[in-house]
Amino acid sequence: MAKSTSKDAQALFHSLRSAYASTPTNLKIIDLYVGFAVFTALIQVVYMAVVGSFPFNSFLSGLLSCIGTAVLAVCLRIQVNKENKEFKDLAPERAFADFVLCNLVLHLVIMNFLG
Amino acid sequence: MAASETSKETILRYAFGNVLSFFILVLIGVLAFSIRLFSVIKYESVIHEFDPYFNYRVTQYLTKNGIYDFWNWFDDRTWYPLGRVIGGTVYPGLTLTAGTIWWLLSSLNIPLSVETVCVFTAPIFSAFASWATYLLTKEVKGAGAGLMAAALLAMVPSYISRSVAGSYDNEAVAIFALIFTFYLYIKTLNTGSLFYATLNAIAYFYMVCSWGGYTFIINLIPMHVLLCIVTGRYSSRLYIAYAPLVVLGTLLASLVPVVGFNAVMTSEHFASFLVFIIIHVVALVYYIKGILSPKMFKVAVTFVVSIGVVVCGAVLAVLIALVASSPTKGWSGRSLSLLDPTYASKYIPIIASVSEHQPPTWPSYFMDINVLAFLVPAGIIACFSPLSDASSFVILYIVTSVYFSGVMVRLMLVLAPAACIMSGIALSAAFDVFTRSIKFQLPGATENSERDAGETSSNSVVAQNDVAKTEKNEDAVKERPSKKNRKKEKEKENVEKPSVKSQIKKKLLILPLEASIIAIFLLVLLGAFYVVHCVWAAAEAYSAPSIVLTSHSHDGLHVFDDFREAYAWLSHNTEVDDKVASWWDYGYQTTAMANRTVIVDNNTWNNTHIATVGTAMSSPEKAAWEIFNSLDVKYVLVVFGGLVGYPSDDINKFLWMVRIGGGVFPHIKEPDYLRDGQYRIDSQATPTMLNCLMYKLSYYRFVETDGKAFDRVRRTEIGKKYFKLTHFEEVFTTHHWMVRIYKLKPPKNRIRGRAKKSKSKASSTTGTKRIGTKKKNPWH
Amino acid sequence: MPKLALFLILIHFLPFLCTSFSPENPSSRRVLVLLDDLALKSSHSVYFKSLQSRGFELDFKLADDPKIGLQRYGQYLYDGLILFCPTTERFGGSIDLAAILDFVDSGHDLIIAADNNASDLIREIATECGVDFDEDPAAMVIDHTSYAVSETEGDHTLIASDDFIKSNVLLGSEKIEAPVLFQGIGHSLSPANSLVLKVLSASPSAYSANPKSKLSSPPSLTGSAISLVSILQARNNARILISGSLVMFSNRFFRSGVQKAGTPTKHEKSGNEQFLTELSKWVFHERGHLKAVNIQHHKDGEADEPSMYRINDDLVYSVEIYEWSGRSWEPYVADDVQVQFYMMSPYVLKNLSTDKKGRYFTAFKVPDVYGVFQFKVEYQRLGYTSLSLSKQIPVRPYRHNEYERFIPAAYPYYGAAFSMMAGFFIFTAVHLYNK
Repeated sequence: MAKSTSKDAQALFHSLRSAYASTPTNLKIIDLYVGFAVFTALIQVVYMAVVGSFPFNSFLSGLLSCIGTAVLAVCLRIQVNKENKEFKDLAPERAFADFVLCNLVLHLVIMNFLG
Repeated sequence: MAASETSKETILRYAFGNVLSFFILVLIGVLAFSIRLFSVIKYESVIHEFDPYFNYRVTQYLTKNGIYDFWNWFDDRTWYPLGRVIGGTVYPGLTLTAGTIWWLLSSLNIPLSVETVCVFTAPIFSAFASWATYLLTKEVKGAGAGLMAAALLAMVPSYISRSVAGSYDNEAVAIFALIFTFYLYIKTLNTGSLFYATLNAIAYFYMVCSWGGYTFIINLIPMHVLLCIVTGRYSSRLYIAYAPLVVLGTLLASLVPVVGFNAVMTSEHFASFLVFIIIHVVALVYYIKGILSPKMFKVAVTFVVSIGVVVCGAVLAVLIALVASSPTKGWSGRSLSLLDPTYASKYIPIIASVSEHQPPTWPSYFMDINVLAFLVPAGIIACFSPLSDASSFVILYIVTSVYFSGVMVRLMLVLAPAACIMSGIALSAAFDVFTRSIKFQLPGATENSERDAGETSSNSVVAQNDVAKTEKNEDAVKERPSKKNRKKEKEKENVEKPSVKSQIKKKLLILPLEASIIAIFLLVLLGAFYVVHCVWAAAEAYSAPSIVLTSHSHDGLHVFDDFREAYAWLSHNTEVDDKVASWWDYGYQTTAMANRTVIVDNNTWNNTHIATVGTAMSSPEKAAWEIFNSLDVKYVLVVFGGLVGYPSDDINKFLWMVRIGGGVFPHIKEPDYLRDGQYRIDSQATPTMLNCLMYKLSYYRFVETDGKAFDRVRRTEIGKKYFKLTHFEEVFTTHHWMVRIYKLKPPKNRIRGRAKKSKSKASSTTGTKRIGTKKKNPWH
Repeated sequence: MPKLALFLILIHFLPFLCTSFSPENPSSRRVLVLLDDLALKSSHSVYFKSLQSRGFELDFKLADDPKIGLQRYGQYLYDGLILFCPTTERFGGSIDLAAILDFVDSGHDLIIAADNNASDLIREIATECGVDFDEDPAAMVIDHTSYAVSETEGDHTLIASDDFIKSNVLLGSEKIEAPVLFQGIGHSLSPANSLVLKVLSASPSAYSANPKSKLSSPPSLTGSAISLVSILQARNNARILISGSLVMFSNRFFRSGVQKAGTPTKHEKSGNEQFLTELSKWVFHERGHLKAVNIQHHKDGEADEPSMYRINDDLVYSVEIYEWSGRSWEPYVADDVQVQFYMMSPYVLKNLSTDKKGRYFTAFKVPDVYGVFQFKVEYQRLGYTSLSLSKQIPVRPYRHNEYERFIPAAYPYYGAAFSMMAGFFIFTAVHLYNK
């Protein structure tokens, strides 16, 4: 049983990798970016757990800026993904412009909330 | 509207339809604005009721001192001696809106007073709200339903009651913000555009600024998302509509001082975070499913589920433990009383004491949303055919708001837009069916319908009255269910579904011509009834400013302007720093109109302080004097309706004072004030009741008015007619005795010894301080 | 705001403005003396002389003189009133009980001497001031142990009492050596009454009864509960002296020697003159009258008075207190003046230190609570004018930009936020380039 599970997992892992390898580069860049944001968020959570949540607004803005960045990047990824048929009529340029706008708002708020 | 014709005329028809709907929208806006002006025309341009006075005062401060001072405003005139941090405890949306309007106008050299701007803010925003309703309904069911819903919303009495000119309250702008936020959410859902998602977050921010009811949004949207996921309607558009909203919305909400960390700390918001996590998991699953082969996906599922369940369980357990460790489970009292309708009456008398927090009665539904109540079920059915993301959202909206309105009268206001949208959809669908069956049976239908439309527009351009009529027509044309043709309704609904679903099938289900015409006629009648009711409600029921009262009697119109008389007296005859005590209802008005410091006001944040005042009011004179003196109170204000029959006076509110006071100070016991469980002030009343301060201040010298001391509110003669006040002196009583102001007597200059002559009289009180020199000068 | 401040200051001076006691022109103080009999003018001349020598203008009138009046055109004509008319049932002119009480309530001083057989009117005035004379009109204070030894063995109604109140303010700094002779009616005070004080009380063996008749029932007033001479300081600082004996003011008592029964020492001169003169100084505000002026508070290091404090501000509070010496305002020196920073209860309670020149000051930190506070000085000392100063001042929380910024513990968060922004720019560049 255990053997089959590990085998399955291996197969799964393998097929995941191969499937992912076929994604276009620009999507991979986005994924990298998302990964970076999530990683930073995790670091902050760990730091908070160690130091305590005293400047809570700072913690919140730091964490939410990471999560927000990640979420927005995921949204962008969904929109520019050519395989996604839901967004055929949405030009990638338009999607990117929306993304930039959204980020500007996000970071404006973050700056406001950070201090 | 229903623009379905041959391809040649299509473009022209669309253009024409757009222009037409634009005009109709403008007229709906005019209608929404002008139907709310009855209060100004019938009374005068004043701020209404209680809370609006506070908002008005805050707005004045804002326009005078600027936004930073407003933000940091520490108000030392209320809640003496605690003070109140206005900037941190007020929803600033309304104030900022009105302040901005005023600033804009004055920078355009249009000199309007702040008061005027405040008075007209609510009608302006109700016009905006009806436009937002149009947009929202258009997203759900198309422009026809949108126009219909907008027209209905423009005059729905429930909304009028909160947004007549002068009713300068949070709800005035919040309803617009609510609908607009929903619109943007649906829009994002339909388009999947980040642009709208951003706008949505900003609209949500505006809503958070405006009203505590924003928690409704932040719970309803996650519920809808969850519903979509559970019913298998997940799409990437849903993700785009929801995930940025949560992150940006939470951040923006924490920027509002009154919300602050509550946006992440209280249970009201946890639902959204939970769904936020769920949607990520679901998105990941769908993504993996997309890139993997079905077989491998199955493996992945078993793999992930086994791990995921464990992790989720652990996280949930921690979360629940955290939440459960706080006594109220992290919920605020008001939210709890929403979830458990009996909560408030059990634990928080102060919430229960407010009449607008009571559950509504059935007639109030009819009063407030009128025929819409009958149209809503039809609208729900229409929404199921076909069920889209948007229409499921609207259905969820109506269901939850019906529940909430059943708990609190005040939340009827949230129900009203939902009911309007539903009814708009229902009417528009019915209209579709009827006109189409007529069109189908009459040759030359095109001209007919066009002529119809033309008439409508020409009518509506004329004047406001005609607008109402036009609306009526439209309503009527689209309306359908009355008791008579219930059966037909069912048929029609059967008809609607396919009609909306697919245009091709439309010719299959056709009603007989006569039936259609009769039905349309009946619906015209129903619509007319609705409009008449709305106008009546706007003119009669909801436009009284409550600080000026009128009554019609056989000898003509009486105006009772006692409140303003009393406040003017206070502002002219008392020192600037004097403190005025009254029951909290009158706190905002006293600070705003008399500019005097009050002990408690309508912002009921400190129960103990209110209980102190309640205790003082229900104590005998001497104890009350000591309580008030310890709070530096100089004047006590009571509202008394016994002479003119004004029912919401302090004697009628008195039991709440006893309850709230008794909740904190156990020596005040409610049964002491009741005779056999009955609240009475006649000769059967308990001695505690007859000796309490509120009784004495209300009925002092009352017997001098008619010789019998007959109370017209309680319809009885009072129990104790002749008495003197020892620690208070009457300084002012208004023309109709509605407001009575008393001054605390200063402590006696000398303390009298026990004289033999007055020994018997003073025996009960000798040995205590401040024994009144009963014979000589009782006022000193 | 300055208007308000001025107003507040005025409010504090209100008590002083109201009292007709006007230190600014002390020379022209007029006192109305109402007598039963003009013969008293000469028989009590020593006492009157002592008053006149201190600058008082005495206006002697018969109590039933139809022309007497306390005020004319709403202005009081006199600053003080001496009632040496124990038997008068009705005053002449416009004076009656209410007029006298109004006179007191508007801040004027009063000396009442009663006697046995005091009239109801006098009793009523005394009662209004919180003093209850023995109800038996014939009763006198009798003391069989501490009577004054005299040539004729009497009925022990002539009492030699030395049971004074211990207060330098009331009786002067000089100790009264000789006992005070008293002959008259006794009175009692309600223990709950905080305004009246026994200045001279009877000894524990005293009782109040009619000396002519046999004692049939236990006397209603006994022991040291009997007060012989009492004073009252009303809340508006009007001062009243009530004595149960008129004759104790007389020249005869002033001059006679005294020997208390049971003590060997025989004093050449009774303590009456010293006792009553000193007491009259107190009654007419020549002693123990305080005023507080120049109440100031400001932030540490600043000079101007702010309209509002912030929590955790350091502030300095000062007040100047002076005492009237009869001729001029002298600095009042004490170490027990306290200031409270009060909101429902005192948050800060501090002793004020003094520079011996009348200025009292202290510095403290505003508590970490916002609200409308008051600086309260409640100074009530035996015999002194009660000072009750309060000044309202709001305390606000921090402004939004007064919180701590750039907290070191938060640097990682700042870093994260800025790295996200940087990441955003880099990502934008890469993303656009990659296209």
